Amino acid sequence: MKKFTIAASFVAASFAMAMPAQAWQPTKPIEFVVASGPGGGTDNFARIIQSIITKHKLVEQPIVVLNKGGGSGAEAFIYGKGGKGDAHKVVFGTNNAYLLPYVAKLGYKFSDLTPVAALALDEFLIWVNGNSPYNDAKAYIDAVKAKPGSFKMAGSQSKDTDQTLTAMIQDATGAKWIYVPFQGGGAAATQLAGGHVDSNTNNPNENIGQWKAGQVKPLCVFSPVRLAKGEPVHNGKGWGDIPTCKEAGLPLESFQMPRTVWLPAEVPADAVGFYADVMEKVSKTPEWAEFVARTAQTARFMKGKELTDFVAKDEAANAKVFKDEGWVVN
Amino acid sequence: MITRFQAEIGTALATLAFGLVIVNGAREFGIGWDSSGPQPGAFPFYCGLLIALASLGTLVSTVGRRLGGSAALADSFLDREQAKRVISFFLPMLAFIVLSVTLGMYVAMVLYLVFAMRFQGRFGWVPTLATAFGTAAFFYFGLEKFAQVSLLKGPVETMLGL
Amino acid sequence: MENFASLLHGFEVALTAHHIALMMAGVLLGILVGVLPGLGAPNGVSLMLPLTFTMDPVSAIILLTSLYWGALFGGSTTSVLFNIPGEPSSVATTFDGHPMAKQGRAAEALSFAFLSAGFGAMAGVILITLLSGWVARFALKFSSPEYFAVYFMTFASFVGLGGASPFKTIVSMAMGFAFATIGMDSVSGNVRLTYEFDVLLAGVSFLIAVIGLFGLGELLQTMEEGLRFDGVKAKVRPRDVLLTALKLPRYWFALLRSSIIGIWMGITPGGPTAASFMSYAMAKRSSRNPEKFGKGEPEGVISPETADHAAGSAAMLPMLALGIPGSATAAVMMGGLMIWGLNPGPMLFVERPDFVWGLIASMYLGNVVAVIVVLATVPLFASILRIPFSIIGPAIVVVCFIGAYTVASKEFDIWLALAFGLVGYFFKKLDYPIAPLVLAMVIGDKAEDAFRQSMIFSQGSLSIFWSNPLVGSLMAIALALLLFPLLGSARRGIRKLTTARAAKA
Repeated sequence: MKKFTIAASFVAASFAMAMPAQAWQPTKPIEFVVASGPGGGTDNFARIIQSIITKHKLVEQPIVVLNKGGGSGAEAFIYGKGGKGDAHKVVFGTNNAYLLPYVAKLGYKFSDLTPVAALALDEFLIWVNGNSPYNDAKAYIDAVKAKPGSFKMAGSQSKDTDQTLTAMIQDATGAKWIYVPFQGGGAAATQLAGGHVDSNTNNPNENIGQWKAGQVKPLCVFSPVRLAKGEPVHNGKGWGDIPTCKEAGLPLESFQMPRTVWLPAEVPADAVGFYADVMEKVSKTPEWAEFVARTAQTARFMKGKELTDFVAKDEAANAKVFKDEGWVVN
Repeated sequence: MITRFQAEIGTALATLAFGLVIVNGAREFGIGWDSSGPQPGAFPFYCGLLIALASLGTLVSTVGRRLGGSAALADSFLDREQAKRVISFFLPMLAFIVLSVTLGMYVAMVLYLVFAMRFQGRFGWVPTLATAFGTAAFFYFGLEKFAQVSLLKGPVETMLGL
Repeated sequence: MENFASLLHGFEVALTAHHIALMMAGVLLGILVGVLPGLGAPNGVSLMLPLTFTMDPVSAIILLTSLYWGALFGGSTTSVLFNIPGEPSSVATTFDGHPMAKQGRAAEALSFAFLSAGFGAMAGVILITLLSGWVARFALKFSSPEYFAVYFMTFASFVGLGGASPFKTIVSMAMGFAFATIGMDSVSGNVRLTYEFDVLLAGVSFLIAVIGLFGLGELLQTMEEGLRFDGVKAKVRPRDVLLTALKLPRYWFALLRSSIIGIWMGITPGGPTAASFMSYAMAKRSSRNPEKFGKGEPEGVISPETADHAAGSAAMLPMLALGIPGSATAAVMMGGLMIWGLNPGPMLFVERPDFVWGLIASMYLGNVVAVIVVLATVPLFASILRIPFSIIGPAIVVVCFIGAYTVASKEFDIWLALAFGLVGYFFKKLDYPIAPLVLAMVIGDKAEDAFRQSMIFSQGSLSIFWSNPLVGSLMAIALALLLFPLLGSARRGIRKLTTARAAKA
């Protein structure tokens, strides 16, 4: 993990050296267009970046945050499409930027956006109620398999990351849940804490409050390596003590969601460089490190080819699930 | 003059059309009931259907009352004098929107207020201009400067560098 | 009584000159954003959020919550004066508040609104102080079927209320539901009823509908009647505020009932908007002269305002203790908590008692500050109505369209507001009730989601709505509310028939 960050920053540093002077500079206030409502994961992501940029004065112009969360965030990307060539509109999203057009008829294509950077990977875990008899992922999956279609999995929204992951687990293990879509991760967390559903696949940040109180417990994390150690959260256990799902015996290694930054199509290449540079500086501040640690995400800065490769791979993996589940609209 | 009967029928036909648009749009998503409850189109479908049926209900009862000789229906809904007043308010409003989307909201605001106060309200030029520019300045500083919310802008605002 | 010790400690945290100054600033800013339609409390709070990045969390939350109280009061101001609700939850305040203003009783209406709102907020905060632990546990019992039952209860209390033609009531309510279904459906992930227009993707905003139906519709009608705006004649005396305050105790029962409804809807997930509608409905139902409602009855202002603010403050508890935002504003504040490094959830009370109890103490102080500040503004606001209509009319038009645009920065919304204005004008003239449309639009999609989630839970069986005592009793109350007026009118009908027969015999 650490080795990787060093390597990444090394690559990034050599990139920065290759492009000495930034020709493009913002000339008017910059809009941060957020593909979620206020308080959502993407909203926190954009606002923490806004606060870091403001604090360290990384950009001369003021920054205005605009929430466009309609249509699961599609509204923000359509707004980005409308701002073709305008490098003062920065769109914040997740992998929804390139996945949404698969599952819903929307007025934009992935090619209407220019990739800038990704700053972190958000993790997914299997969580069960704190009083549940299952203490490891294998036992839980076996129980679900024994009684197909009677266990309930909560997630946020439909045909989005949570349901995709649920479909992947079902495909890999042969277990079968009833998937119940809620408005957001917060509702899915409370429903699990109240014992109305059997499990959810929330991000660490969405369930941490309930875990602290022992109302829910994590079984395994869909990450190639364990999470950073951090402070103990409940009963002396912390994020680093959660086994990866592979260790727990699940035939599904990794499922992560990138936190991404985009520009509209046809913006000057210098502008892309400018924002990638700003984001890279953000990703190296102590405030960013603190945010990533607190929300138990994995810090990983990507730009340029590394980012497009990641996107292509992630897109292919998700598109396969969408096809198998019959969610593809076009 | 528009009678109440005409207005009732016109409105009921409009809501009927709206209901049918909803019904038609909802059919795409399935309107039945499957193992996980109502399909996505069911709820809007039945809402649209309710609108359409209730509109028909209004139509039938209005026509029925008309045939029964109800005096209330022959009453005026909007006489010439009222219509003039409503239109003299509505048209400038429409012009304000058209100007907003072409020339920007600040210019539209000034023109609209000047028109309404000077030519409709018969105020003097001084209070008229003071109110119009005062309002525009108030919103400019309140929204653009303080709250950093930008309104629609057109060529004039760009020229002034706002 | 451990909570009292904590509260006293909270007052120590909150009662500093710095914090009082922040409260005043927050309340004043809040009134400003509340009065400007389109710039409601959520916008105000997200505007101030960047400023709080460098503050300590207690000061930051005090500033933001004070701004929230201020915005709620500001929203009621425009409801009363111009029939434009600044916040969804102050829609019900327009029903009687605006008629009062038109009769020249604006100062009285505003004073009633603010005083009863302050009363409701206090009731909500006292509940939080006394029952925080219990409420947090109780709220965990709520799942989709219970949510649906609460929404159903609100509707049930509201239908059968007006005297309008049943056909027209159905058209109005079903239209509200239909508008609420436009856009992304979160249960199925489908984009419904947009006919592939991108502008409809985010749905039809409730605020746009309200600006058109209430604000513009009202203006068109005022114009048609020939500029009669009786408020012009009324003198505004600061003494009126005091006189109104003295009249308030007369409505003690309405205050109490509305506080209870508000608190109930705040801790169950109904929220302030549903609370204010339900409280208005209950006031009208239980009144000895229901025909006065809608024509300027003070109880029609007091009831929704009390319930709105009681629910608003009570709803802070689920936000802090469970991490569920009860409203758009609460969602922004929760985003703030995350940025300040706090995790909302059950352990917040244990880990950061200084923050939680400081916040609760500031809710007491902030509301007192807010009520004093807004009461001082009453004469100022009420005298706005003395400005000739030929100035204020066009000014309201400008404000309405700016408000419509700033909701989502969409040109389309301006046209939509105009269309809703025409709908409002025709509906009002032809006696279509508008309130059911608005109510259906606000909670229609939530009710639909909750219903369909329940059906996924039960795999299509309706018996889930009687599956436990909680949801069962909620549904029973809702059905009783729904059937009671029908039974009442049936009984009246029978009595009429029998007396007629007796008279004949």
